[in-house]
Amino acid sequence: MTLGIIPATQFTIQELTDLYNQTRVDYLVPMPMNVDRLAEYIRDFDVDLTGSCVARADDGQVLGLGMLGVRENRAWITRLGVIPDTRRSGAGAALMDYMLEKADVLHLEETHLEVIKNNEPAYRLFVKKGFRDTHEYLVLRRAPHAISEPLAGSIKWLDRDEALQTLKTYPNHLTWISARESMANAPDVQGARLWLPNGGTGWLVYRSQKFFFSHLVMHTEQGNPVEVGKQLLLHLYSHNPRKDTYAENIHESDPHLPAYKALSYFENFSRIEMRRNNRKVE
Amino acid sequence: MAKILYIEDIEDNLTLVQKIITSRGHELLWANNAEKGLEMATSNQPDLILLDLGLPDSDGQTLSVWLRSEPTLENIPIIVLTAWPEEVARHTVDAYGLDGYLCKPFSLTELVQLVDTALGSKSL
Repeated sequence: MTLGIIPATQFTIQELTDLYNQTRVDYLVPMPMNVDRLAEYIRDFDVDLTGSCVARADDGQVLGLGMLGVRENRAWITRLGVIPDTRRSGAGAALMDYMLEKADVLHLEETHLEVIKNNEPAYRLFVKKGFRDTHEYLVLRRAPHAISEPLAGSIKWLDRDEALQTLKTYPNHLTWISARESMANAPDVQGARLWLPNGGTGWLVYRSQKFFFSHLVMHTEQGNPVEVGKQLLLHLYSHNPRKDTYAENIHESDPHLPAYKALSYFENFSRIEMRRNNRKVE
Repeated sequence: MAKILYIEDIEDNLTLVQKIITSRGHELLWANNAEKGLEMATSNQPDLILLDLGLPDSDGQTLSVWLRSEPTLENIPIIVLTAWPEEVARHTVDAYGLDGYLCKPFSLTELVQLVDTALGSKSL
């Protein structure tokens, strides 16, 4: 079979959505999308469709796709997948080569991606293409339920602008989906700032949709992170008792993890973030 | 006879479930996304909902929160059919207050038993 790699700009968002969903049907965590969600994804995460691509066989059958996010000097590979029946045809590697070449031509210094832990075929492909592990992250979930513990301290709810300003002060690394640029692209960012009587202070920035919170970023400026984190979450859920929460990419050694667990967050799965230093193309 | 709503985006997964459910004399309704699922649940008031966790517009967990927040739907039993590992499925069902789960691939007997238990007297 001869493979062709075609820029994603030659396909409609509907076609890309259909193809993406076909590549994920047998995934442990399939995460299907509809057209609206993929369009939001492209907007929020600065996906460049000219650098994104589709693999097609010589008989015209589409085999898989990959998407390339581009920001300043960095690239991000996402949504990479090949339709189950057509795997082991070299399509995944060819899609990767196309996107990495685009990143090189754009003089982007590094390319990031995340892979679900234990997806060995994908992990091996990424290692072969020069990616190395950087961090491991947890994807957590919390179902809505009533809060019974007492609240402490005073809370200030942050509007979108205040939340984005606050996020700029975050001192640690954030993965692409929760990075400042992603949050600045999203319309639904909010936050909260907490002051405890013992001097502890901290903040939480998140996206708030009708039925759920997502993309949580928490930081303790002073005091015990578990105490500050727990009170931030208690305030959040006493204010919004019926909301579901999907907290992606919480660092495995995040000092607030015990606070999340105390508020009944549970682990869905883990991701490994990987990075590659790109080639310099003259 | 009971009315059962299956919320699942992959049509191939529908075939087996449809065969099992209709052979037991029940009526099976199908919604291929969360929004349609909520709409069909509201308009049809099913006796049982079979729910996939991976849906294209909102995942099954959040849809279960929508369903439970509607006073006319909050008491309808919900069974999760998922490809997730059993431990995650069990934790999800416990946390979201759902009524049972089956991890794919599941057998005909397992589905029939779980559906009969959830339906109680309506399974006859």
